[in-house]
Amino acid sequence: MTAHRVLVVDDEPQIVRFLKPSLTAAGYEVVVAANGKDALKAAATQSPDVIVLDLGLPDMDGKDVIRALRAWSAVPIVVLSARDRESEKVAALDLGADDYINKPFGIGELTARLRTALRHAAQNAGEATRVQLGKLDVDILAHSVLLDGKPVKLTPKEFELLAVLVRNADRVVTHRQILTAVWGPAHTEDLQYLRVFIGQLRQKLRPAGDAPELILTEPGIGYRFLSGIA
Amino acid sequence: MAEQSNNSDKSRPSPKALLELAAKEKRGKLKVFLGMAPGVGKTYAMLAQGQALRAKGLDIVVGVVETHGRSDTADLLDGLEVLPRRTVSYRNRTLMEFDVDAAIARRPDLLLVDEFAHSNAPGLVHPKRYQDVDGILQAGIDVWTTLNIQHLESLTDVVERIAGITVRETVPDKVLERADEIVVVDLTPEELIQRLKDGKVYLPENARRAIDKFFQPNNLTALRELALRRTADRVDEQMLSQLRQQGIEGPWPTAERLLVCVGADMQSEAVVRAAARMASALKSDWIAIHLSPSDRENTDRNAAKRTEKAMRLADRLGATTVRLSAKDMSVEILGYAKRNNITQIVIGRSNPGWVDRLRRRSLSDALLSAAQDISVTVVAPDQPAPKVPLPKFPETGAAVSGGLAAVIAVGLGVAAGKALEQLTRLPNLSMVFLFAVLLCALRFGLFSAVAAAALSFVAFNFFFIEPRYTLTVAAPHELFALLLYLVVAIITGGLAGRLREQASATRERAEASQALYEFSRKLAGAPTIDDVIWLLAAQSATVAKGKSIVLLNKSGELSIEGGWPPEDTLSTADWAAARWVNEKREPAGRLTGTMPFALFQFRPLLSTKGSLGVVGVSPDESDDALPLAIESALQSFVDQAAIAIERTLLVEQAAQAENAAQSERLLSALLSSVSHDLRTPLSAILGSVSSLRQLGDRMPPQDRSDLLETIEEEASRLAAFVSNLLDMTRLEAGVLDLRRDLVDVGDALRGAVARAKKIYPQRQISVSLEDGLPTVHGDAAMLEQVVFNLLDNAHKYSPPISKTTVTAGRVNGGNLRISISDDGIGIPAHALSKVFDKFYRVTDGDGRAAGTGLGLSICEGLVRAMGGTISAFSPAASGKGTDITMLFPVGDRQRALQARSKDKI
Repeated sequence: MTAHRVLVVDDEPQIVRFLKPSLTAAGYEVVVAANGKDALKAAATQSPDVIVLDLGLPDMDGKDVIRALRAWSAVPIVVLSARDRESEKVAALDLGADDYINKPFGIGELTARLRTALRHAAQNAGEATRVQLGKLDVDILAHSVLLDGKPVKLTPKEFELLAVLVRNADRVVTHRQILTAVWGPAHTEDLQYLRVFIGQLRQKLRPAGDAPELILTEPGIGYRFLSGIA
Repeated sequence: MAEQSNNSDKSRPSPKALLELAAKEKRGKLKVFLGMAPGVGKTYAMLAQGQALRAKGLDIVVGVVETHGRSDTADLLDGLEVLPRRTVSYRNRTLMEFDVDAAIARRPDLLLVDEFAHSNAPGLVHPKRYQDVDGILQAGIDVWTTLNIQHLESLTDVVERIAGITVRETVPDKVLERADEIVVVDLTPEELIQRLKDGKVYLPENARRAIDKFFQPNNLTALRELALRRTADRVDEQMLSQLRQQGIEGPWPTAERLLVCVGADMQSEAVVRAAARMASALKSDWIAIHLSPSDRENTDRNAAKRTEKAMRLADRLGATTVRLSAKDMSVEILGYAKRNNITQIVIGRSNPGWVDRLRRRSLSDALLSAAQDISVTVVAPDQPAPKVPLPKFPETGAAVSGGLAAVIAVGLGVAAGKALEQLTRLPNLSMVFLFAVLLCALRFGLFSAVAAAALSFVAFNFFFIEPRYTLTVAAPHELFALLLYLVVAIITGGLAGRLREQASATRERAEASQALYEFSRKLAGAPTIDDVIWLLAAQSATVAKGKSIVLLNKSGELSIEGGWPPEDTLSTADWAAARWVNEKREPAGRLTGTMPFALFQFRPLLSTKGSLGVVGVSPDESDDALPLAIESALQSFVDQAAIAIERTLLVEQAAQAENAAQSERLLSALLSSVSHDLRTPLSAILGSVSSLRQLGDRMPPQDRSDLLETIEEEASRLAAFVSNLLDMTRLEAGVLDLRRDLVDVGDALRGAVARAKKIYPQRQISVSLEDGLPTVHGDAAMLEQVVFNLLDNAHKYSPPISKTTVTAGRVNGGNLRISISDDGIGIPAHALSKVFDKFYRVTDGDGRAAGTGLGLSICEGLVRAMGGTISAFSPAASGKGTDITMLFPVGDRQRALQARSKDKI
C-alpha cells in the first residue's frame, strides 16, 4: 500500500515545522501550502488523499478554501481551529469539511482523525451500512438493530437518526446536517427535537454495564457515533 | 324565543357592574352622614356609630372633628384616638388643619373626618378636604364623613334661590355618587328651629344674621326635601346596581343620555346646573357640548370666557365635555345626538334681540322643529338674565383714541369738502364723509366708525346743507338724503369694523399656528437636549406671558434643567406640585384644582416610557384659568417637546450603545489576537512533544532534534509574550516600578544594541551618538528595554540584509532626541497613528510577521512614564522604512516628575 498523501495548509511556520516530520514518521507523504491560493493549486496538482486545513490563512478565509475545493473535489478535509471558535467549525463542517481538530492538539489525535477521514473516503463517499460494536449490531440496509441479539424497537425517526450517525460513523455530524437529513430543511434550527431523540436513542442502545457511550456529544457542534474501529 | 334566551342569561351578572364592584373593593369605603342644615346632629350620629363599632374592637381614629364646644358631642370623643392637627401658618395666622399624611401613615380600619366640604388652608396639597379624603380612600382606608346638602355643587344655585345664601364650599356630585353609603341625619324643621332657640346649635357670631334668615321653616323644608330626595335616588340606584351585580333579570330602565348645549350667553351656567340636576334625577350620563360657528370668527373675549366657565362647571359636575365647530348648529347637534344615542337635549331659552330674530331662527326653535325622536327640553333661566353689556364696547383707552380719530377724520372731511367746493361743484359731498367713516372703521374698529358716522351726520348737516351753519334742514329731500347717509354710514362702518376685528382674530390665530410651526421647526433642528429645553422654556414663557421652568427626571429625581427667565430655585410648594405632576402625570399647580398655591402651573412631559419631567408656567397677570387657546398651545408645545426630548435621549442611548458595541468588537479582536499568539506556540510545542513520544523511534535523528529545537524556540517565544503581557498589565495598572535615576543615555543605547546583535548577529546596526549627550531622569534598564524593543521591531519588519540606524543628540530647546530607523517595509500612513495602540498590528490576524502587538505600546507606556514622547514616521528620512523618534526632557526634573505623576493618574 502506497503512503497516503496529506496536504498540510497552514501559514504558521512552527506548526508546519513539527507536522512535516511527524506525519512523515506516521507514514504519510506530506505536501505543504502556506496560503489559500497555494493550497487550491496543490490540491489540483498533487491530488492529495486528505487535506489538513488551518482556518486562519493570510490571503483568504479557510471556509472559502473549503467552498472552492468542494466545487470539484470530494477529498476529505480535516480542519484545524481554536476551541473557542465553534461557529467557525460548524460553518466549515456544514460547507463540507469532514472533521475538525482543536488547537493545540497531540499528534495521535490528528492521525486518528486522518484515518477515519481516509476510511470514509474509501467506503464510497462515506457510506457505512453496517456497524457491529460489542453487543450492538446495526444494519441500515436490513433495517435491523440488534442489542445482545435481541431486536431493538425504534420509531422511524429514531432509526433515521441512527442511520445518519452510523453512515458517518466516527465523524462529527453537525446539528444542522442531522436536522436537515432527518427532519428536513425547514427544521434546521430545532435543536430541541434532536436533543430529545438523541436522549431516547442513547436510552435504547445503552449497552449493559458501564460500557462507554456510543453517541458522543461535540458541544456546540454536533454528534459523533463511535464505531470503535478508529 | 327572546324570552328563552333571556332566561338562559338570567344568572349571568353584567360584566360592567362586576368591574365597578372590583374597582370599589380595592378602595376604602366612604360613608356620608348627610344633613339638611347645620345642627341636625350629623357629627353626633357619626361619633355615636363610631363608638358602637369601637366597642366591637374596630380600630377607629378621628381624623378631624369639630365639636363646636358642645359637650354632648365632645363626650362622644371619649376613648377615641384623635389625630393631632397639622399647623399651617397663613397670613400670620396659625390654622389647625387635618393631617392627611399622618392619617394614611396611621392606617386605621376606619377614619372619621368631619365637614366633607371644608376648604383647606392655602399651602396644603389639596384645596379641598374631599380631595384629601379621596387620597385616604385610595390608600384603602374606610372613611366616614359629614356633609350638608347645600354644599352639593349642582344644588348651589337652587340653594341660593331658596335660602338666599351663596355657598362657597362645594363638593362635586360625583364625589357623593361614589360614596358607598349615605345616611340621612334627619330632624323636622320645627325641631331644628327649637334646638336653635335652645342654643344647642353652634353659630359663629358673624354669620348669625344671615343664618337666622336661613333657618326659616320654608327654607329648611326645601333643603330637607333636597336631602331626602337625593338619598332616595341613591337607594334606588343601589338597588339597581345590586340587581345588576347579582344578574337579576330586567327590565332595567333604559339608559338615558343627556346632551346639554352650552352657549356663550349669560345663563349658560344656569343651564348646565339644570342639566346636571336632570341627569342626576334620571341617573344618566350627560354630555356638555359647545359649538363654535365655523364660518364666523368669535371675536368676543368675554363670551369665550363665559363659555369656558360653563364648560368647566359641566366638567366639575360630572359631564363629558365636547367642543365642536359647525356651520349649521342645529344639524350638527342633532347629528352628534344621534351618533351618541342621546335621548334628551337640554338647551337654554335664547332671548335674541329683534334684529337677530329677523335674521335667523333661534337655535332652540331650530332644534325643536328638527328633532324627531329626541326630546328637547328648553330650560328657562331661573331669573331674568342680566342684560348682556353692550357687545364689544372697547376699553377706555381704545374708545378715547377711536373717538379722537373720528373727530379728526370728520374734521378733515369738513376741510376736504370745503376745499372741493371751491374747486368744483360736487353733487355728492357725503362721499367724502363716508370715506372718513370707512377709514375710522378699518383703523380703529366699530366704535370709532359709529362715532364718525354720527359726527359726520351732524357736520355734514351743519357745514354743507342749506341753511348752512345751522342744524336745520330746508329741503325735505335733503333731510331724506341725510338720514339715508346716516344709515349707510353706520352699516358700512359696522361691516368694515367687523371685518377688521375678524382680520385681527385671524391674525392672532395665524400667529398662534405660526408660533407652533416655528417651534416644531426649531425642535426638529435641535440637536441636543439642552437646545430642546431652552426652546421649550422660551416658547412656554412667551405664550403664557410670564415665567416658565423646565424640570427633568434625572436618575429618579426631578432637577431644574432650564427656565425663562433662567431660574434655578423653586419654592417648596412648587417642588411639591412638580413632583406630584411628575408622579400622577396630570397637570397641577397654580390655577388648577390641585395645589393651586404653587407659583407655577405644571404639566407633565409624557413619553411612551412615562413622565420625562414637567414644565411649569407662571403667567405674570391673570388669576383666571388660562384661556383655552393658550392652554392648547402650551399643551402642543409640551407634547412636541416631550417627543423631541425622547428623541435626543434615544440618540444619546444609541451613541452609547454604538460605543459599547465598538469596544465589544475591539475586545473580541484583542482576545482572538491574544489567544492566537498563545495558542500557536502551544500547538507547536504540544504537537512536537506528542510526535516525539509516539513517533520518535520512526524518525531520523535530524527530525528529532529539529522538533526539540522547535519546542525550545516556541517555549521561549511564549515566555517573551507572557512577560510582555505582564509588563503591559503593570504599566496599565500603574504598578510598574520605575527608578528615577540620572541615566547615561549612551550606556543604555550601547547596551540595547549589544543585546540586539546577539539575537540578530547578521544585522548591521550603525550607532551615531552626539558628543556630550545629556543625562535624563528615569530608569536605565527600562530605557534599554525600549531601545531593544524598537531594534527588535526594526529587524522583524525589514529584509535580513538591511541597515538599522540609532542616532541620539540634542534638539533645539535642549531636549534629548533618540531615533531608531530602518530600511524595511515601513508603515502605511493610515496605521501610523495606531502603531502604539495595544495589540495593534499592521498586518492583521495571521499575518506572517508574528508580533504580539504589544512591543510598541509597551515602549510608549515606558517613555511616557519617563516624561518623554514617542512618535513614528514612515517613510523615514532615507525614503523608505520606518523612523521611531523619542524626545526626553533634559535637566528639568520638575517637569519630568509632573509628567510622571500625571501619567500615574
